[in-house]
Amino acid sequence: MPTTAQIPASPGSRRLISALGGYGMVLPAFLLMVAIIAYPAVLSIIQTLTTGVDGRATGFTLAQYLFFFHDRLSMTNLLYTLRVGFIVLAVLLVVCFPIALYLRFSHSKLTSAVYILALFPLFVPTINLSFAMIRFTTTHGLLDTLLSRAGLVHYVTPYLRTSGTIIGLVWEGIPFTVLILNAARVQVDDSLLESARDVGASIPQVFLRILLPLIKNAVIIILALQFLGILGSYTIPYLLGPAEPEMIGVFMERTYDQVHAPLQAQTQAVISFFIAAIAGILYVRTVASQQRRTEGR
Amino acid sequence: MSTVAVPDRAEARGSLRRRPWVAALGKLAYREGFGVLLLVTLFLFIVGPMLSVILWAFAVRWQYPSLVPNAFGFRFWTETFRRADILSAIPQSITITVVATALSALVSLPASYALARLRFPGRQFLLLSFLATNAFPRFGLYITIAVVFFRLNLIGTVPGVILIQVVNTLLLMIWIPTAAFRSVDRSLEEAALNVGASRLRVFVRITLPLVFPAIAAAVLLSVVNVFYEAQASLIIGLPNVRTVPVLMYSLTNNQLVVQYGAVLMFVTWIPSLILLGFSQRFLRGRYFAAGFGV
Repeated sequence: MPTTAQIPASPGSRRLISALGGYGMVLPAFLLMVAIIAYPAVLSIIQTLTTGVDGRATGFTLAQYLFFFHDRLSMTNLLYTLRVGFIVLAVLLVVCFPIALYLRFSHSKLTSAVYILALFPLFVPTINLSFAMIRFTTTHGLLDTLLSRAGLVHYVTPYLRTSGTIIGLVWEGIPFTVLILNAARVQVDDSLLESARDVGASIPQVFLRILLPLIKNAVIIILALQFLGILGSYTIPYLLGPAEPEMIGVFMERTYDQVHAPLQAQTQAVISFFIAAIAGILYVRTVASQQRRTEGR
Repeated sequence: MSTVAVPDRAEARGSLRRRPWVAALGKLAYREGFGVLLLVTLFLFIVGPMLSVILWAFAVRWQYPSLVPNAFGFRFWTETFRRADILSAIPQSITITVVATALSALVSLPASYALARLRFPGRQFLLLSFLATNAFPRFGLYITIAVVFFRLNLIGTVPGVILIQVVNTLLLMIWIPTAAFRSVDRSLEEAALNVGASRLRVFVRITLPLVFPAIAAAVLLSVVNVFYEAQASLIIGLPNVRTVPVLMYSLTNNQLVVQYGAVLMFVTWIPSLILLGFSQRFLRGRYFAAGFGV
């Protein structure tokens, strides 16, 4: 007599079981994410849109946002954040494309050393990086000492300046950028690049005409995620950057913790969400289209 | 005098050229100029800061303009590990890391199996929804979470910090194993099923060993992420919960003795370096990018 397990189930009921099992396995993680990410974010959007400047609940109002956009300090900090963000993105691309191209086109034994060095910051926690960067770049720090030994005595430390924030954020962004560029490059058919080289195309030509269009998605993902990272950063600008103007993350923390104005901090957070939304949507859409392509394969 | 010196110098130059290592170095600089330049710049920029902290950790006294500490020693090591704040932060960090990673694995691994292997409507949407953890600016998110946690009395509690760390690791704990489960060759499993192996046996003996490296890597990355996470722990954990990274803020900003921070960083950073050794092969693989949703 066959046991129940051996009776072949009909295709329809098997599909149903599989679907129910699937939901059962995914839902705990999904609900956790909804409860801790989506719910607080939506709640903050609602609260900031229904509370007046005096802190009393009203109907729909833009008071919190009008306050932000008319407040000189808030606007200075917001524009400063955007400016630093764009500089960091530009520096990252300028630094990381040559590294990625070098990794691709050089047959030297040095490539693995360059790759390991470029990925190294991945294994340095942000807080440790900030501490190390201060010790390295501060006046009379190791860099200053090295430079003065070489006869360069007019060292100006980037510590507590905007350049300190930029250096820290670039340091943190390098491994991710190189990693994704490299991963995308691996997917590109090597023979395509080789044949272009064979017919006499220079490396910059191959890069601009062939490689760049093929790895466009990777570049979008890098730019979007790095932008989100910069907008949501706190440790590096707080420890390495100037006290004024502040990056939006530092500004939020101070508003929440020291000024004790949670609603203003929420407003700042929601504004950062909306600015980031462009990058966030780009990121999700690009990844989604890549997923569809791998599904179809 | 000068007539004597000229052939001397020429000879010296000639002998220099004859030395093979000089020629080799010259050739290397010519052929690999860009690579060498890249390597030296990266080394200075990436290793330099780390090197200065390591030197500080073993320094008893280090005054400008000395290139290395004036006196080496372990004096500050004993002092560092006598500090009550450091002694309580280390076990607290370890507890939070272990519990958060275990919980994250518990909810994420079944989800990643289902997302990779089972067919059901909305699967693609659910998979993509986990990108949301990456699609918000982090610090803004923590502020909005803090407002909710404050009402739930989760601010300054270990469960509060654990919850936020679990959510922080969801993306890599789901996407990396999902990519691995997808890449398992189905014909291997079908062959085993055809010769009469049970589904459970196929899963344990065939599927699991194939995806194990990716799962191990996801767990390791999650451990490192949680242990060193500072921003969420700061805003959710204070004033009662002080993890090692949160302590580092005050050791960086309000501490005149550099060595406390340097020693603590050196000691807690070792696990991360060991991981670098372990995951070198994994880093060259394609799953790693999956942790970012690529």
